[in-house]
Amino acid sequence: MSDATAHTVEHGEHEVGHAPAPPDRRNLLQRPGWVRAVMYGAISFGLATAFVTGLRSLGDLDPIWELDVLLTAWTVVVPLGFLTGLGVFSYWIYWVTGKPTLPDDHSGHGADSWKDYFKVNTDHKVIGVQYLITVFFFFVVGGLMAMFIRAELAEPGTQLIDPNAFNGFTSVHATLMIFLFVVPVFAGLGNYVIPIMIGATDMAFPRLNALSFWMLPIGGLIILSSFLLPGGAFSAGWTNYAPLATQQPDSNLMFQMGVQWAGASSIATALNFLVTIITMRAPGMTFWRMPLLCWANFTTSLLVVLATPFIAGSQFLLMFDRVLHTNFFEVAGGGYVVGYQHIFWFYSHPAVYIMLLPGFGIISEVLSVFARKPIFGYRLMALSLVAILFLGFSVWAHHMFVAGMAPWLRIPMMITTLLIAVPTGIKVFSWLATLWEGKIHFKTPMLWAVGFISMFVIGGLSGIFLGSVPIDQHASDTYFVVAHIHYVLYGGSVFTIFAGVYYWFPKMTGRMYNETLGKAHFWLTFIAFNVTFFAQHWVGLQGMPRRVADYDPVFADWNMVSSIGSFVLGASTLIFLYNMLVSWRSGEPAPSNPWRALTIEWQISSPPSKFNFDEIPQVVGGPYEYGVPGARHVVLNGSRTVETEKPEPATVGAEH
Amino acid sequence: MTSVAPTESDHGHAHGHGDHPPEQYYSSKVEPPILGIYLFLASEAMLFGSFFAAYFFARVAVPHEFWPPINPKTGHQFELPVFLALINTIILVTSSVTVHWAVTSLKRNYRAGLIAGLTLTSLLGLTFLLIQIREYMRIGFSPRDEAFGSTFYGLTGLHGAHVFMGLTFLSFALWRSMKGHYSPKHHVGLELPAIYWHFVDVMWIVVYVMVYVV
Ligand code: HEM
Ligand SMILES: [Cu+2]
Repeated sequence: MSDATAHTVEHGEHEVGHAPAPPDRRNLLQRPGWVRAVMYGAISFGLATAFVTGLRSLGDLDPIWELDVLLTAWTVVVPLGFLTGLGVFSYWIYWVTGKPTLPDDHSGHGADSWKDYFKVNTDHKVIGVQYLITVFFFFVVGGLMAMFIRAELAEPGTQLIDPNAFNGFTSVHATLMIFLFVVPVFAGLGNYVIPIMIGATDMAFPRLNALSFWMLPIGGLIILSSFLLPGGAFSAGWTNYAPLATQQPDSNLMFQMGVQWAGASSIATALNFLVTIITMRAPGMTFWRMPLLCWANFTTSLLVVLATPFIAGSQFLLMFDRVLHTNFFEVAGGGYVVGYQHIFWFYSHPAVYIMLLPGFGIISEVLSVFARKPIFGYRLMALSLVAILFLGFSVWAHHMFVAGMAPWLRIPMMITTLLIAVPTGIKVFSWLATLWEGKIHFKTPMLWAVGFISMFVIGGLSGIFLGSVPIDQHASDTYFVVAHIHYVLYGGSVFTIFAGVYYWFPKMTGRMYNETLGKAHFWLTFIAFNVTFFAQHWVGLQGMPRRVADYDPVFADWNMVSSIGSFVLGASTLIFLYNMLVSWRSGEPAPSNPWRALTIEWQISSPPSKFNFDEIPQVVGGPYEYGVPGARHVVLNGSRTVETEKPEPATVGAEH
Repeated sequence: MTSVAPTESDHGHAHGHGDHPPEQYYSSKVEPPILGIYLFLASEAMLFGSFFAAYFFARVAVPHEFWPPINPKTGHQFELPVFLALINTIILVTSSVTVHWAVTSLKRNYRAGLIAGLTLTSLLGLTFLLIQIREYMRIGFSPRDEAFGSTFYGLTGLHGAHVFMGLTFLSFALWRSMKGHYSPKHHVGLELPAIYWHFVDVMWIVVYVMVYVV
């Protein structure tokens, strides 16, 4: 397969040795890239508009210019045109039509300048960074919306934004944070480290990987664009319940279509992770020798593949109800309105684990490394992930205790909900046991990990309250739920994300972050987070409803506290962004293994070479044998020696 | 700490400069694309699951006498063309057999069988779609007519869209077979549409039983 004239090859048989591809001599409009992408996007826009209006005038439908139909067509067709122009599909179009596929010259690998991050790239490391930067962009945007929300709620009454805009901000804030930040950020981190951790050169389907990434910003931009439509952003909450959703202005479609793109992205990545982990582990890397992050991504990916189609389905049906005037959830037409919630939560409860299990994995890596001890109960840790995977599908209706669902469902759902606390508890106790008598180094990632455990326990406890039907009937739809969500999602997931980003920052950039700023970031966030959200438990139990722009003046004091806390929380994020940007440009060069970790990604250079390894590594032992003299996880490059666990040097303990 | 800088070619491989990946090791006998399509189909099955969920919710919520709803023209309940759909079922099951024949023919390097099998499969699939469209035109109710109409068109339409996609893939495979692509050893590009097609077939049997028969 050494040149473009070669006949077609079946997948998986490219040969490695060949000359680089000749330079692309086509002009900008023909060559894959942004110019062609914008052009194809514009052409698709025109075609979609002509198609819809043409069909409607042929069918004598009135009006010919119907915004909801057009929006549906645009949000499907324009992104497809754009992606085609960018070149995401080129290879498949060649492949499926049997044209000579371009030789796989690996020019899509690696990044030499920042510009390469704006191109279609098939390197899992580049894609990982693309993911991370994209999702942190949406994190900041969603965070700014939270600032508006808290500014409005600082005092009772309406000051800053009107109730409709308020609802728009809360809805878009939650949607961005969930679908554009927490869910995909783990795809980004996983993309970077999972293939290396299992000793693979890349993901199983690099081109699908690129497509998964590029679908994500499209979803995010569609969601954001709802602000530009008549009536303002969608405002039925991130849950977008029928029938409220169908009665909203057309901007509601932007939630539905945006989530479809983000969901497709997440399914494609999950599928990729699963195939990679099953088929591409290095010799010796059995399942029981995999780092827990790989286990976590494996179970999460199963959840994604099996659950995400349900949110896709729920939004398709909702879209049909709006655009085609069907009756899936219209009571007047015999539809079952609570059915929407069942379908939605059948995804969205598993989704809370999609947002948490990878974090569990990160915490296991970090704790074990910084406590210099093997993870306690490794197999049970892995099996509890699997238990959560199964149980996670059996609890969805605990979100619907007061929604008018069949009453007999309540008790079974309450029991399964409380049962899920068992595997979760196993994990928490195993982490604590890992810390027990460890030689703990409180580096920034470790601070986040320990902070995570404490905050997540609070969130889990309020979850158990909410899982009990009688308490939930009192607390549902109050700020108690808001407090719960934020303890599990911010104190939980987001803390794990920070732990992971600090932990792998040296590997990804080849530079060290600033430790002092990292610690400042942690402490400020930790304190401000609790100031912001803890009191919401109390005002919630006293009956302050969530998702309302105004409230009873009796709650004024705690809301002011909450708002002040939230501004500090917002400011603390600036420290993080500053630290990341400056350290990436001019931080101290990072050694290959600054944390003296055993897992494979730390045994190669920082940042890794283009194809990670010169030779596929040989795995010879468990990933967490810290403190076990002579224990080895991996052997790289044949006989070359690698890190083995040496006795702790006496000086290290002095640093804290 | 440890040094694993890019090595010089001390292991004798010609490309020790990080320009080419080391040869990937595969820890499973399953070919990645085959595993991938099965996972994808699991995902697809769940998408059907969400549509089925909507169908059963509506069916439970609507009283018996109004499922199907009353046809205003006749005063009786609408009737689904169970017999015609049975014929369609037989057509689709047959097409699963023919596509299987195509794949096994290729494995025995019997190219005429490959091409005949794929042609037959595509024609059967096309017939299925045309009968389905014909059924839509005669059935007398639209997706807007009650939850019954919505869920009926929802499920059969979702399935029809899959038939359409499957047909597209199959015709590419047919075209490539005619150009002499695929070999008895290398035929993932043929197997993927075939597996997809079997899925479409199985899904139809479920739709047929749940929507038309039960
Ligand atoms: C022991 C574990 C948990 C239990 C028992 C639990 C239980 C519950 C219950 C019963 C509700 C419904 C409250 C209501 O609306 O009335 C709820 C809401 C919620 N939970 Fe949890 N939860 C747990 C863990 C988690 C985790 C780990 C996450 C995410 C990482 C999470 C995210 C959420 C979210 C986002 C909502 C609000 C959904 C909405 O907007 O209505 N929960 N939880
Ligand atoms: Cu839940």
